[in-house]
Parts: sequence; structure tokens; C-alpha cells
Amino acid sequence: MIQLNDIRKVYQMGKLPFEALKGIDLTIESGEFVAVMGPSGSGKSTLMNIIGCLDTASSGEYHLDERNVAGLSFDQLSQVRNRKIGFVFQNFNLLPYATSFENVELPLLFNGKSAKQRKERVRELLDKVGLWEWHRHRPTELSGGQQQRIAIARALVNEPPILLADEPTGNLDSNSGREIMEIFQGLWEAGKTVIMVTHDNTVAGYAKRIVRLLDGRVENGRKSA
Amino acid sequence: MIATFFRNLFRDLVRQPMRTILTLSGVMWGTFAVVLLLAFGNSVQKQSMKNMRGMGDRLVVVWPGRTTMAHGGFTKGRPIRLTTEQVYGLTDHVKGIAQIGPEFRQGRRLRHGREEFNITVRGVGTEYTDLRNTIAQNGRFINKIDLERRRRVCFIGDTLAKDLFKQDEPVGGRIMVEGVPFTVVGVMKKKIQPSNYGGNRDTQTLFMPWTTFTALYGSKYVNNFIYSTAPGVDSAALERSLRSYLSRKMGFSPKDTDALFIWNQAEMLEQVNVFFLAFNIFLGMIGSFTLLVGGVGVASIMMVVVEERTREIGVKLAVGAKRRQILFQFFSESLMIIIMGGILGFAASAFLIGVLPAEKIRDYVGVPQINPLVGIATVLILLVIGTIAGIAPARKAASTNPIEALRS
Repeated sequence: MIQLNDIRKVYQMGKLPFEALKGIDLTIESGEFVAVMGPSGSGKSTLMNIIGCLDTASSGEYHLDERNVAGLSFDQLSQVRNRKIGFVFQNFNLLPYATSFENVELPLLFNGKSAKQRKERVRELLDKVGLWEWHRHRPTELSGGQQQRIAIARALVNEPPILLADEPTGNLDSNSGREIMEIFQGLWEAGKTVIMVTHDNTVAGYAKRIVRLLDGRVENGRKSA
Repeated sequence: MIATFFRNLFRDLVRQPMRTILTLSGVMWGTFAVVLLLAFGNSVQKQSMKNMRGMGDRLVVVWPGRTTMAHGGFTKGRPIRLTTEQVYGLTDHVKGIAQIGPEFRQGRRLRHGREEFNITVRGVGTEYTDLRNTIAQNGRFINKIDLERRRRVCFIGDTLAKDLFKQDEPVGGRIMVEGVPFTVVGVMKKKIQPSNYGGNRDTQTLFMPWTTFTALYGSKYVNNFIYSTAPGVDSAALERSLRSYLSRKMGFSPKDTDALFIWNQAEMLEQVNVFFLAFNIFLGMIGSFTLLVGGVGVASIMMVVVEERTREIGVKLAVGAKRRQILFQFFSESLMIIIMGGILGFAASAFLIGVLPAEKIRDYVGVPQINPLVGIATVLILLVIGTIAGIAPARKAASTNPIEALRS
């Protein structure tokens, strides 16, 4: 469960402070499928970064599975990211010189798994996204849709309960986009919490709940709202 | 895990082979310079020490002179003179002398067949061969019987032997020393001796028993005497007690250094050692600066590499890498370049030293070799420079902001 209480984020832009998030109250239950929407500059990315533990809030409380992660150091948050959160990016963010196998293996390397465990796990995930036969290929040899599936495999390899996706279909044609969304749909049905940022209403349609941001505030934050 | 680490490290290095090779060559060249400079510095030092021992080991030379201070009722300007008996008698009064002996010296004209030379002739005792390392290559040195019987025999330096006798066997040969025939009993073994006190070097000298010398030329007082300090005895202290004894006995001021001039090899060696320490540090520093340039090359290249791989760093941080893991990755990459360059540089210098014509340069610079001292010094310098070169890029990499890195 994700619980945000009065989360604020202030950036210092020159001499003037800029408040990107102005007190976010948001609760996302385990197993929800949430789309975060809003115009650019509304604070979507900042919010996702904070939820993903890539960034820390200036003030407020963030409970991730009952644990307050607001005060943790960067390296402590690294472990949280490694075990609890899988990231899927708009531009895939695969390592260009590494093979599909190595890309998927990457989070396992920071989780201290043995070579044998890593191999089994990577194989399992690549099979799941249907790309084992491409495991020796590099990202440049794959289509966009395939690259994103590799990225999803990477996001899932440590079995995190939460999947964060930032415009996952933004760089894909509509067919590939639909494939990706069907994978997300399947993952949600299998019990994952899926949170994604999108502009696209069709994509947002897969989500069971839409959180709308405007000027650093949630328009419909509480679940009851 | 370790296998993966090295596989990735290697892949990162070969991804841009030209760049890696160029960076590597900077470090290699620096290491090459450090190793060679240290190896040569070391060998020059050793050779110089060896050359100095050509004169003798723990040797002290004493020249009785003329007083320059009034003392004990005597006016200044009085000559201090010692006889051979007084010289040999010193061991009874001054403790710590291993061997002592007189030395008489004159320039004389020698002839053998048609060859004639003006050369230094020395009258010495049997102990001279030990004190001054005049070791017989053929025949023998002057012995007790020669001295007792005032035989007209001589021991000659190897160069003199060649100059006089050419291809002929010198031992048993005859040399005329201003009309007086002498029989050669021995030829000195070749040794390295860059200089001598008074007269020719040993290699061009004729040695005869001092008894023969004094009988023929009428000398009564020694030109100088020489002694060696016994093992475990402080040569400076011995020198002081010798001076104080002789000043009392001969009646001159112990402060009057002109009355008794003493040259002490141990002091000389000490000074030379200090000089060579400074010399080697200087060489090491020159080499280190060359290596430092290579290190700066590594650091700047790694800075560029970090810049180029910002996204990779961002991805790794996002999927759970800790900052210190990123630090370690880039630090080890820099260090690996330094180590590989170091190994190559070491190998190159070892090869060069291996193919050097040792025979031709030995007398001047000794035989340079990569001994443990040179090895350890080089490795230490490499590690220091590697750490300096690695730390800045690694810190830069570890401080990457993952949000910015992933957005690009």
C-alpha cells in the first residue's frame, strides 16, 4: 500500500523557490491499477519520482507498505527500488551495449543473486514476454515494442509488488502500445500494483482509477472522492 | 558476480579500443620511465659503491704534514714525520685497527726491452694487498721474505704489465727501475678504481717491498700510511683516538688538521650514500611526473566516459544500484587502465633492460635490473596515481542524479 500525506516538493530555481507539489494526499491500495494524468507542469513526473523513491519529498510523509520511507538515505532507497518497485520508461532506458539477457539481469546483480539463480530468473522472465530467442541480441536490433517488453521483464525480475510506468506507450505505434497495455493488464490481474503516467486517454482506459493532477495538487485524491 | 564484474569491465574497456589504447599508452610510458629511471639510478649507485671499494674497504689514509699551530713549545711549520716502525707500532696504542701499513711513493723511470715509462713506484708491506684490494691475478703479492731480504722484486698493475710486456708473460720477467733490475712476482687483477691519492692508479703502478724502497732511495719517513677499521668499530671514533694519540706523541695540537691529514672512506661512502638517496628520489620524481601525466590522461578520459554513460548510471541507480557501487565500478575501471598500463610498462622496461648490452655499459652505470626495491617503488607510485586519477571520475559518476539521467 502506498500512502502519501501532505507531500510537498520545492525546487530552488535561481533565487525563487518553485513548489512542484503543494501538499499531495494520496492512497493507493495494493493491487490497484492507477493512471496519473494531468497537463505538463502539473507535477506528474515529480510525484512518480517520489513514489518510485528516486526522489525525496521536501516535506510530508510517505508510507510504503507501512514503512515511512520519507527519511531514508539514497542508498537505503536503492534497496527499496531494487526489491519493491519496477520501472518502465517511455524511452525504455535499456543499456545499448548489453544484450537483452544482461539488461534483464541488471536488477538481480544489485540483489546479490547467484549466477545460476540469475540465469533461471532471466530465462523465466524473457519467456514470459516471449523474447527468450532474442536474449543474445542488443536493444538496437529489436523493435520498439520488443524493447519495451525487455524493459518490462527487467522491471519484474526482482518480483516487485509495484510497477511504475512513465508514458510506457509514448514511443510506440498503436499495435505495440496495445500489446504493452495488455501485458500491464495481465500483471494487474496477477496481483501487481500498477501505476502509470499517461497523456493518452485510451491507455488511461486500462486503469481502474484515474488520479488527476493540476498545479501540484490532486484534483481527486482520496479514494472516496 | 566476480565473473560478471570482469566481463563488464572488459567490455567497457574494449568498447572504444582506440581510446583505451591511447590512454593505456600514457600510463605505460610513465611506468616505463619510472622503472628505467629507478633501475638505472639503483645500478649507478651500486656501481659507484663498487668502484669506490676498488680503493679498499673501510680504508683510512693518513698523511703526516706540517704543523700550522704553535703547540707545546714548538713553533708552527714543523714537519710531522713517522717511520715505518712507528706506523706499525700504532696498533699497540690505538685500538680498533684491523690492518695498518706504510706507503712510500716516488716517480721513477722503468724500462723493459724498448718500452720506457715514467711511473709511480710504491714501497709497501704485505698488508697492502688486503688494504687496497691489489689482488694477484698471476703470481703473488709481495711477501714477508721479500721484505726481510730486501729483495728486488715487484708487483705490477695490469695496465702497466700490458704496456711493458705486451703478449709476453710478465711474471718472472725483468724490469729495470732506473738501472736496477727487478723481477716481477705478480700482476694485479683488473679492478675498477676511478682515482687515486697521489701518483698513478694501481693499475699503472709498480709496488716493491718498502725495505727495498728505503734501501735504494734512502727514504726514512713514510709518505703516508693506511689502515682499515676493524669490523664493528666506529671509524670516526677510531680516527679521533688516532689523532689524539699521535698529537700527544709527536707534539702537535689535536686541532691542527694540517699536521695530520686524514681521508676516511667510511665518511666518503656516507656522503655518497646520501647523495645517491637524493639522486634516486630525484629520478623517481621525474618518472612519477611522467606517470602523473598518464594518470591525468586516464582521469580526463574517464570524466568523458562518465559523461557519456550518464544514462547507464541512471538506469543502474533506478534498478537498485547504490551510489558506492557506481563509485566502485568507475574507480575500478580507471584503476584497471592504470594497472594494465603499468604491467605493459613494466614488461617493456624489463625487455629493454634484458636486451641492453650489459658488458659495454657496466663500468659506467652498472647493470640495471628490476630488483624488489624498484618494483615496490613503482607499484606504490602507480597505486597512488591510480587512486588520484580514479577518484574524481568515480565521484562524478556516483553523484549522478538519476532523474536527470533518465530523462535525457
